[in-house]
Amino acid sequence: MNNQPQILVIDDEHQILRALRTILTARQFRVSTASTGEEGLALAAANQPDVIILDLSLPDLDGVNVCQRLREWTHIPIIVLSVRDSEQDKVRALDAGADDYLTKPFGIDELLARLRVALRHSAAQSQVDKKSIITAGPLQIDLAQHLVHHGKEEVKLTATEFKLLSYLASNAGRVLTHRSILSHVWDPADADHVEYLRVFVRQLRKKLEDDPEQPLIILNEPGIGYRFIADD
Amino acid sequence: MHKSWNLLVTERRVPPFLLSIATTAVLTFLLLFVRDNVETATVALLYLFPVGISAAIWGFWPGIITALISFFSLNYFFLPPYGTLTVHQSQDILALVVFMVLATSISQLIGRMTDNLNTAHTRENETTRLYELSLILANQHRELDIINSLAQHILKTFQVDQVEILAETESSNTLVRLPENPLPGMNLPLQPTLLISLQGARALLGEIRLWRIDKPISPLEDRLLHTSASQGVLALERARLSASESRARILEESDKMKSSLLSSVSHELRTPLATIKASVTSLLSEDVPWDSEARRELLSAVDEETDHLNQLVGNLLNMSRIEAGGLQLKCHWNVLTDIAAGAVKRARLASQGHRIELDIPDEFPLIFVDDVLMEQVFNNLLSNSMKYSPINSVIQVKARQQDDQTIWVQVNNQGPAVSEGDLDKIFDKFHRVTAADQITGVGLGLSICKGIVEAHHGQIWAENLEQGFAIRFCLPIHTEGEAPRIPSQ
Repeated sequence: MNNQPQILVIDDEHQILRALRTILTARQFRVSTASTGEEGLALAAANQPDVIILDLSLPDLDGVNVCQRLREWTHIPIIVLSVRDSEQDKVRALDAGADDYLTKPFGIDELLARLRVALRHSAAQSQVDKKSIITAGPLQIDLAQHLVHHGKEEVKLTATEFKLLSYLASNAGRVLTHRSILSHVWDPADADHVEYLRVFVRQLRKKLEDDPEQPLIILNEPGIGYRFIADD
Repeated sequence: MHKSWNLLVTERRVPPFLLSIATTAVLTFLLLFVRDNVETATVALLYLFPVGISAAIWGFWPGIITALISFFSLNYFFLPPYGTLTVHQSQDILALVVFMVLATSISQLIGRMTDNLNTAHTRENETTRLYELSLILANQHRELDIINSLAQHILKTFQVDQVEILAETESSNTLVRLPENPLPGMNLPLQPTLLISLQGARALLGEIRLWRIDKPISPLEDRLLHTSASQGVLALERARLSASESRARILEESDKMKSSLLSSVSHELRTPLATIKASVTSLLSEDVPWDSEARRELLSAVDEETDHLNQLVGNLLNMSRIEAGGLQLKCHWNVLTDIAAGAVKRARLASQGHRIELDIPDEFPLIFVDDVLMEQVFNNLLSNSMKYSPINSVIQVKARQQDDQTIWVQVNNQGPAVSEGDLDKIFDKFHRVTAADQITGVGLGLSICKGIVEAHHGQIWAENLEQGFAIRFCLPIHTEGEAPRIPSQ
């Protein structure tokens, strides 16, 4: 039982805590809960959970601030929860080190999918060798060899296109903010040039997706960024 | 006009006396030639002329002066012995006395009349000026306009070097200074020449400060200035009253709108809540053993209704932001297809048989919009189309570039036509084409679309098509008119 992943939920809504504890315990997770930011920070330090679920509106601390303080000492994946229409808060939290987000209200399937991705990434971080071949539907990306195949056919990508694809693919399942993609693939000075990203993502989709208008691999996260969907 | 009026006020004193003396002197000189041929009585009678004229033209005191001079001239030049002020004959004494009485009476009567006339003229001028001011002020409704007009009036009427009017409210101060560009080399002291408080019925509304260096302000001008100031006070109080009245009216209207929103919303919120409550309590109850299909059915209803509630709350939030003018756009360069595709995907998931087509050309420019809000527009338009068009019909999302600066988007369905009169009204809040109980929704969707499109400097309108109905909107590609720079590789 003790090697079951441990989840820390920080939220001031007791009904949410109650529901998540019940649901996650039923799914064989160990769950601890905190209803304030300070309590959450203390529990995170004491219990060393595998994933933290953090609500952005807390009574005592700003959620973004909690992210920053956690990132001072740990890489534990953080999934932030927030309501709709606060994309800016989500982006701030993601840029402050959160790994993913969920918009309230959310379906439990969504939460479990995010948890799986987060756990995989925290596991990958502890291992020295990361996966170098990523598959997503018909797509096979060899990060080490710089090769991309769609089915049997090799897909020719420009240097920037490949750089973009490999950054997205190596963070498969996680949301990446425009800012983070731009500063990794281009330059931190270009972090505000969303238009670069728009044009290059469109080019990539044309080369990789079966229907570029209904993408299945590189998904849009309106107001926030992109998410690469790989096979599990 | 004020020039001649000033002459009357200030230059009346000195010359009239000289003129009175001159007139009498001229008459005396003329009469000296005929002294031996005319009776003393006739001479005395003739001397009444300058007295009358002086009193009539220059007023009471010049008349009296003329009377005295005439009296002595008559005595000195025309009553024997000539050249002295002594009188020998008793009838001459009588004549002199009669003359004196007559002359003073005449100058008194006529002089007073003239003085009254002058005063009446001045008063009339004053009244005209104040009337003009009050006419101008009556047409002003904004505080700034009022103090501007008042300052203009003071500047022109009183020929001051500079006038400042300060209007104070609890929240703000407005200062008007005229002339706007002071003459070069004009160094005005810090202290104004005259300071008049604008004292309202309940509070001090502000003050007038004026500077006039070359001549002091006369008591008459002072009085007139105070009267002008009180006109200004009246106008300011009226403006503030009507401002607070219209604020009250707006509040009242927004109150009305809120209560109609509340009644509409509480109905809309309760409907999904009723479904959720009924389904969940059924599942909780242990009376009936639910088979797995029934369970699934009930739970799907709960799932759909929570989505519905969530959408409703989102729309309400957006509406209140649009209403409060607090819709903040976070514009970036965006691919319209991505935005529309997100909404289409969502609509396809929710659809119960509609076919939803997306038609946006491959070579479509990037547009500078807030993608989250734009997706909301597509969501609302698609959900509206699904509500009003028959199941299994086609809904199409289509966009084209119109010119270098503009794109247009159309969402059309095969629903029934809307009467021409309703085409504009469907964008109003709570407006519904069909009876409320047939269609779910608060009637906010389209007015939110309108709010968002207009915040992007676009336009939205509705059209009846040959077969169906369409909402179209156009958007500027970029409000500042510059195209994005894209690196080649």
